[in-house]
Amino acid sequence: MSELGMIIDIIEGTTFAMTPLVLAAIGEIFNERAGIVNIGLEGIMLISGFMAVVAAEATLNPFIGVLAGVATGAFIGLIHGYITAYLKGDHIISGLGINLFALGGVAFGIEAVWGVRGYHTPPDAAKVPDLPVINISPIFIAMILIVIGTHYLLYRTSIGLKVRAVGENPEAADVVGVNVERVQLLATIYGAALTGLAGAFLSIDWLTAITKELPAGRGFIALALVNFANWSPLLALGGGLLFGFFWTLGEWIKNMAAVKAVIPVTLMNTIPYIATLAVVAGLIGKSRPPRYVGRPYKRE
Amino acid sequence: MNDVIVQMKNIVKIYPDGTVALRGVDFEVRKGEIHGLLGENGAGKTTLMKILSGLLRPTSGEIYIAGKKVSFKSASEALKHGIGMVHQHLALVPAFTAYENIVLGLPGREASREKIEKLMEETGLKVPLDALVEDLPFGVRQRIEIIKMLYRNVDILILDEPTTNLTPIETKELFHTLKELKKRGKTIIFITHKLREVLEVTDRITVLRRGRVVGRTETAKATPEMLAKMMVGREVVMKIEKKPAKPGEPVLIVKDLWVKNDLGEWAVKGLSFAVYSGEIFGIAGVEGNGQTELVEAITGLRRVEKGQVILMGKDVTNRSPSELYRLGLSHIPEDRHKLGLVLDMTVSENSILGIHRLKKFLGSLLNLKWRVIDKHAREIIEKFEIVAPGTRAPARSLSGGNQQKLVVGRELSKSPQVIVAAQPTRGLDVAATEYIRKLLIKMRDKGKAVLLVSADLDEILQLSDRMAVMYEGEFMGIAKPEELTEERIGLMMGGYKMEQISAGTKPQPAASS
Ligand SMILES: Nc1ncnc2c1ncn2[C@@H]1O[C@H](COP(=O)(O)OP(=O)(O)OP(=O)(O)O)[C@@H](O)[C@H]1O
Ligand SMILES: [Mg+2]
Repeated sequence: MSELGMIIDIIEGTTFAMTPLVLAAIGEIFNERAGIVNIGLEGIMLISGFMAVVAAEATLNPFIGVLAGVATGAFIGLIHGYITAYLKGDHIISGLGINLFALGGVAFGIEAVWGVRGYHTPPDAAKVPDLPVINISPIFIAMILIVIGTHYLLYRTSIGLKVRAVGENPEAADVVGVNVERVQLLATIYGAALTGLAGAFLSIDWLTAITKELPAGRGFIALALVNFANWSPLLALGGGLLFGFFWTLGEWIKNMAAVKAVIPVTLMNTIPYIATLAVVAGLIGKSRPPRYVGRPYKRE
Repeated sequence: MNDVIVQMKNIVKIYPDGTVALRGVDFEVRKGEIHGLLGENGAGKTTLMKILSGLLRPTSGEIYIAGKKVSFKSASEALKHGIGMVHQHLALVPAFTAYENIVLGLPGREASREKIEKLMEETGLKVPLDALVEDLPFGVRQRIEIIKMLYRNVDILILDEPTTNLTPIETKELFHTLKELKKRGKTIIFITHKLREVLEVTDRITVLRRGRVVGRTETAKATPEMLAKMMVGREVVMKIEKKPAKPGEPVLIVKDLWVKNDLGEWAVKGLSFAVYSGEIFGIAGVEGNGQTELVEAITGLRRVEKGQVILMGKDVTNRSPSELYRLGLSHIPEDRHKLGLVLDMTVSENSILGIHRLKKFLGSLLNLKWRVIDKHAREIIEKFEIVAPGTRAPARSLSGGNQQKLVVGRELSKSPQVIVAAQPTRGLDVAATEYIRKLLIKMRDKGKAVLLVSADLDEILQLSDRMAVMYEGEFMGIAKPEELTEERIGLMMGGYKMEQISAGTKPQPAASS
């Protein structure tokens, strides 16, 4: 392989590896800005990934598959948002519930739909096609646009002002007539829908497979990314890029015979985490979460 | 002028935890007046106004605005009817700019800088629009709140104890603004328990006590004694009897103390003084002249850069608060929300904060003995006449004044030798103030040393055996209160040293280097 080919490989690999992380992190940043914590990202990716395969395979239309993934995410967001914003339930418990349900539900679903244990590969017609010429997913392009759009929404519009106010001091929003619960619910739906898109990207685009380990911890990495990024969409894009790059690099080095002999693979797998942590910790320093995040807002 | 604009009929409010805050209140406000809503801590003033502004829903009762029956489901509905409220603990987003706070919740097209600037021009309420709220002093934040409401075309403006955190000058400015707004036809509801203020700015007064209306009057016909009696339900002694002090040993000595503020500037500049057992030593002065930093340095919450603090004969400079407590220091902090209480914890839990390691509260497995703790909390509640739903209720559910009483009760239950009290009666009603002042004198008579820091000059004059006036980190003089005239104290608060004043020379402001 030529040097140039290798570089292109790594760049392309990075665009894939970062997409699901950034999508989920942006979504979570949005709902945490509104004060709602959703630790169920892993579960949402898994269920959405599953639904995306089911829909894409049934219609042989990957576009419908992506829509199904997004809709599934939004629906789970609706439930989580309703429990946390309106019923004032515990954010962590509800999120944990999503993760637990996803594990059991999807394992069962795979067997029920395809009659196999644990692993299914959709046909090629169900896969999201790459862009012409370069090997990059259209969802990657969409992700970039979503980052920019979300950033604009949060910082440049009156909607964003409401969202951030609700996460900082819901009472202040309340007294000027902002409907705190509705803002929180909508933000949670938006956040979970993006995570649903990440799930669809995993199952019918990048990996083109569904297993019950589909997200492989990406939901939790995305949660960490929210913190690293200091709740800023643009920084999350940067953090995702770093992580994707180190991850791809790690995969690549891992497969070199010379290295394989010396360093155990499991140790190699920690590279992207440690490298990202080091860079990000050095760059960002102390992060400050939205002041009222994770706490149910009760008026009386 | 006499048309009734707000009419609340037979309002009852029972909180979800069973607290009955309002027991059938009838409340009436006329168009274009400044109406005072007077009442003790926990009387239900805030609750009644939160109902009027749509933040709480009444358990029963009816509301009429300009004769039309309304039932608000949210603050936005009340705002549509022109009703807006400025809250006791201002409702602003600290991390936002003033401008962002003002336009929050409005659709993008209704947010206009020019219009806000014009409004500021017209009303004389000036604020820096691009500064972060967290960097602004309290008085300015309050102006932002008022502009926020005026910008929403509020006709009925509710202000909940707006003067609690204001300096005397800011208070004057606020009153000026209120009168100005009245001239422009706004109706203002002014909540307070300060008699002097209610007499100064209002046209009519409604007095609440324990969830009931106990009096209505025109301000012109009211006297302080009569209002105090209505509020408290009995005669109030406005003057406190005090036996002469019998000072003993110096138990708290401060030597050449230098302390910096959060910005790294010198806030306390070489102070030296001693507080004796059996006396109250008062520190007066306009707020922000280093009093906060001084108290924090003495109580172990802020670094001492230079100098010494000696407590009960031991050098305790830069020691931790828990060590200081063990040596007999207790601290009634000025900001009860930041330092005094954990609002989400129960009354019981709050009642043992800082003393939770005491043997009597701990079982053999280092488990907390809740029965003993609840009893401890109940004793404080009874002794200090705290109105609380129970020992297991969160501190948040107590009214502002009762929260303060809880802090004072806890600190004094530690049986201290030296008490540092910073603004101990801020936000308290007449009865609670009287109670706490008497208590401090009682502690003094028992031979404790009290260091009292207060922006309330009356309080300092009434309680102190010796007093100092602080200006820009220095004492302008130390004297007995009876040796000073009000005029002299005023000059000292403005930066003239006592020697200069008594020497009769033309006063020169003290060098503020
Ligand atoms: N969220 C709440 N839950 C339960 N009880 C409450 C709550 N808020 C207030 N109360 C209770 O209702 C009563 C009235 O409280 P309110 O805050 O209206 O008094 P207030 O007149 O404003 O007093 P203050 O001068 O201390 O502010 C008090 O007994 C208080 O303990
Ligand atoms: Mg109140």
